[in-house]
Amino acid sequence: MEVIYYMRNYYPLTAAQKMHHNWILDYGTQQVSGVSVVASVQAELDFGLLKKCIQMETERSSCTRVRFTKPDKEGNVKQYIEKQDPRDIELKDLSGMESLAKADELMQQWAYETFDGNNIPMCEFTMLKLPEGYNGFFLHMDHRLIDSCGLVVMIEDLFQLYTHYRYGTACPQELVDFETVLKKDLAKAGNEKRFAKDKKFWDDQLDALGEPLYSDIQGPSVLEEARKRHGNPKLRASDIEMNELFVAVKDYHLEPYATQNLMDFCMNHQLSMTNLLLLGIRTYLSKVNNGQEDITIQNFISRRSTHDEWTSGGSRTIMFPCRTVISPETDFLSAAYEIQNMQNRIYMHSNYDPALIVDEMRKRYHTPEHTSYESCYLTYQPMPVKVENEMLGTIRQHAKWFANGAATKKMYLTVSHTEDGGMNFSYHYQTAHLEEHDMELLYYYMMRILFKGIAEPDMSIGEIMEQV
Amino acid sequence: MSQEMEFKNIVAQYSKVKTEEMTGEMRFREDLGFTSLDFMSFLGELEDTFDIELDENEVTKITTLEEALKLLEELQ
Repeated sequence: MEVIYYMRNYYPLTAAQKMHHNWILDYGTQQVSGVSVVASVQAELDFGLLKKCIQMETERSSCTRVRFTKPDKEGNVKQYIEKQDPRDIELKDLSGMESLAKADELMQQWAYETFDGNNIPMCEFTMLKLPEGYNGFFLHMDHRLIDSCGLVVMIEDLFQLYTHYRYGTACPQELVDFETVLKKDLAKAGNEKRFAKDKKFWDDQLDALGEPLYSDIQGPSVLEEARKRHGNPKLRASDIEMNELFVAVKDYHLEPYATQNLMDFCMNHQLSMTNLLLLGIRTYLSKVNNGQEDITIQNFISRRSTHDEWTSGGSRTIMFPCRTVISPETDFLSAAYEIQNMQNRIYMHSNYDPALIVDEMRKRYHTPEHTSYESCYLTYQPMPVKVENEMLGTIRQHAKWFANGAATKKMYLTVSHTEDGGMNFSYHYQTAHLEEHDMELLYYYMMRILFKGIAEPDMSIGEIMEQV
Repeated sequence: MSQEMEFKNIVAQYSKVKTEEMTGEMRFREDLGFTSLDFMSFLGELEDTFDIELDENEVTKITTLEEALKLLEELQ
């Protein structure tokens, strides 16, 4: 038998991968890095062919074959790409379950499972027969391998492969090699001149504004409690929950006509939806924190701009603090532009490792361990999970993201567009501190603030806070 | 390779428009499909490739390929 040997290259993690890896280390469970999705269609599927296409997809999307070495003494790991993944793909028959919703409940449990061990696959496909005539697959992965945009691209590619072999549609174009883009990213991160510029941008913010100030969804009492716990009446950061990580999810649907109003406002004023949403959250935080002007929100950015970045998979989503100091006299539109200006500058410096921003603040302000300046995290996802494929036509689809059930963040809002033209506001909140009622209030006031603001963009932030 | 061609090759990494179809009056957002993130990442790429320093407050005023190319020439 011929044995083929190949050289295996080991790489450090990128800043985006490190962000997830550090959460795993801090919280002691891989669960915080899990990402799961079901993609299915209300049609018969040839599962033999689907299996072949999934196996081809793991060949094409090499990020699915990424593995991690045993951690060193500091917990650091290296990554490498396994040449092949010859595993069988299991088919589970859930079609006898009472409803699709019940099947979703079961899949939600699967999403809580962890990939434990070193040098093991961090990606698992399961083919599914679902209730109500749906068929497809469930995909469970580690976020260090891929982010949600990468997943959407990969799932579409998989369905294109399936319809190519099943119906003779065009074969999807080759995907860009993950390893090639990884090398480029690591080289960029190692560019000393770029690093110095990025560091200067983030340090300049602290030089200009000083230590950030925590603002909680539940008001100033949370920071007051933290100050008492630490015996420091001037403390500006609040404790992070380290033990009870369970999160509940509350979704709110914004109707298509209301969504269109927000989108029109963005279009007419050359604003991005992310910045409008950031303004909505920060105004709420200011309102419930006695008009606090200095507010920081963590905003997730999916660093996919070039064609290569879009089609190479990988984990490119990374969060940066969006800090703005906005006085109550500022009118709504000017406040939105202030945020947009800040976000644009952040985009230019988004190759920086955000862990270094935290390190710098700890060094300057002696911020206590396991505390944070932010209570809210935002992701805006312009891409729908819906599979775009000509052969699927009007066939109904069922695609759903499943929360990993263990959030490192007090409140994490994901805003995405829905098939009917509306938007979904998905609030993931730690049940150790928050209740559904807190999310109801947050959503209610966010909407009141946003719609008041877009109706009267000249109105000051202070007046809006009073009137809503 | 001319500087203009090198510039257009970088633009092409971010856009579906081919280099031979690019014209000076094309706008980054409306005609080339750049998002804010694309545009700012692109400017970072220009800085690294051509070893220039861009004024972050000024660059957001750039809307067309011609304006960006002119700025690039001025900074070199």
